[in-house]
Amino acid sequence: MTIKNKACIVGIGSTEFSRVSGRSEIHMAVDAAMAACHDAGLKPEQIDGAVKFGTAGQNCTEFTTETDVARCLGIRNLRYFVEAPWGGGACCATVLHAALAVANGMADYVLCFRSLKPASGTVRYGRPTRVPIDAHWSYTMPFGFASPTSWVAMITRRWMHETGATNDQLGWVAIVCRENAVRNPRAIFYGRPMTMEDYYRSPMLCDPFRMNDTCLENDGAVALIVTTPERAKHLRQKPAYIIGASEATAWDSYCMTSYYRDYIGIQEMEEAGKELWKQTGLTPKNMDVVQFYDAFTSLVPMQMEALGFVKVGEGGPFCEGGDRIRPTGELPINTSGGMLSEAYIHGMNMIAEGVRQIRGTAITQIKNVEHVLVTGGLGVPTSTLILGQGR
Amino acid sequence: MALALNKRYLQYFYEPVAESFEDGFWQAIKQKRLVFQRCKNCKEFLHPPRPMCYKCHSYDLEWVESTGKGKIYSWVVFTREVHPLYRVPFEVVLVDMEEKGVRFISNMAEGKPEDLHFGMPVEVVFMPINDEWSLPWFRPVK
Ligand SMILES: [Zn+2]
Repeated sequence: MTIKNKACIVGIGSTEFSRVSGRSEIHMAVDAAMAACHDAGLKPEQIDGAVKFGTAGQNCTEFTTETDVARCLGIRNLRYFVEAPWGGGACCATVLHAALAVANGMADYVLCFRSLKPASGTVRYGRPTRVPIDAHWSYTMPFGFASPTSWVAMITRRWMHETGATNDQLGWVAIVCRENAVRNPRAIFYGRPMTMEDYYRSPMLCDPFRMNDTCLENDGAVALIVTTPERAKHLRQKPAYIIGASEATAWDSYCMTSYYRDYIGIQEMEEAGKELWKQTGLTPKNMDVVQFYDAFTSLVPMQMEALGFVKVGEGGPFCEGGDRIRPTGELPINTSGGMLSEAYIHGMNMIAEGVRQIRGTAITQIKNVEHVLVTGGLGVPTSTLILGQGR
Repeated sequence: MALALNKRYLQYFYEPVAESFEDGFWQAIKQKRLVFQRCKNCKEFLHPPRPMCYKCHSYDLEWVESTGKGKIYSWVVFTREVHPLYRVPFEVVLVDMEEKGVRFISNMAEGKPEDLHFGMPVEVVFMPINDEWSLPWFRPVK
């Protein structure tokens, strides 16, 4: 028994993505939720379940609660609600939990949402503006080791050493994502191309990462609505079926600094992938387009290796020159620009793009899409999702 | 070179906090001693510390003096400031300690970022931070 074809995403909604939203996180969450209801053809009060982002070691909590959203949308009561933890690792997990709920009759229409205000709010993700209080951080913070960029830079340097991957190859990931964003009016980097020269000119933040290896810091919100295929028949959009989904921790997982195991890689994604392929009976070859969680450039080739798209050591060379990961290539990635160049909404904008690829409404639309893979954040316990055309 | 603290911002030093099962680690640090947790029953090292040995599920754990020696497993170089106490550029190193299975995050007390390399032998040296704390940093083994 699996979750395959028992639930689908029927609505996607988002705010504009900007450097200064001029409104609160709650306001943006409500805007995205209303947009998702309109997209689906649902009355907001029909929502009876919600999945929000939880905490990641008290660092990046979703401040908007499901009750904040319910009281604005006029929802009388929610009969199912849950949090998916671990920051960006949660994105696909929100859909997983929503699918389980609707498939088992715990709710009819579940709203998954993420609202973020790191660009103009008080919590900046790239900087230690809040002091985390869990004791785990005592092994990092007193040494000035205090930014997500640095934590992923540490595993990236080792991965580059083990596999021979180069900065050029990371540059190509950034460039291809930027090309996709340049065509996408929603993207922060719409109409603003980047060359390899630009990539190398961007300032070094934490060696081996330059500014252009890191994702955007922006305001915005994305909401998704999940229901059953039966209910979807009466709604406005072509459903994006949930073919499979997985969550995973790995051996000795920590929040961002899983440094105490044999190899400091992204074993969480290896585990999530094993579960996903076993659960669905599909393989990387069945994926027509992938939205790889790209908070940092290196995570794209690292995930290609972890998920079995290529052998270990081939992820970097696969990105070289960009042709194989472009929309015309054998493995199109991050077609909206990803979080490197569209917006950073903890992966929820990547799921929305996955839905558009299934509907056939993406700006950079891949032809004949049967399956889309979306992946969750790394350095943390993570999640994955395969969307498909259904039966 | 290496890490030079900007002591004007010492008030922003992140004071280590500890759960009861790891307090021994930080109490030793305050005495300028580097110790690691080890299971008395199966002799497995456990770092960062845990309340129970994951291998044999024993609660009988002890603090063992480290040799203070290890090799560089990976590192980063902060070139843009994220915390005013830590002057850039500075290195954060991940050291494979001689104690089996123990890795330790720290800073370099001597040397230049460009001299770091994989497998480079390093040894611990305690650097005073404030009245209460000294931290175990590393320097190249000469
Ligand atoms: Zn034991």
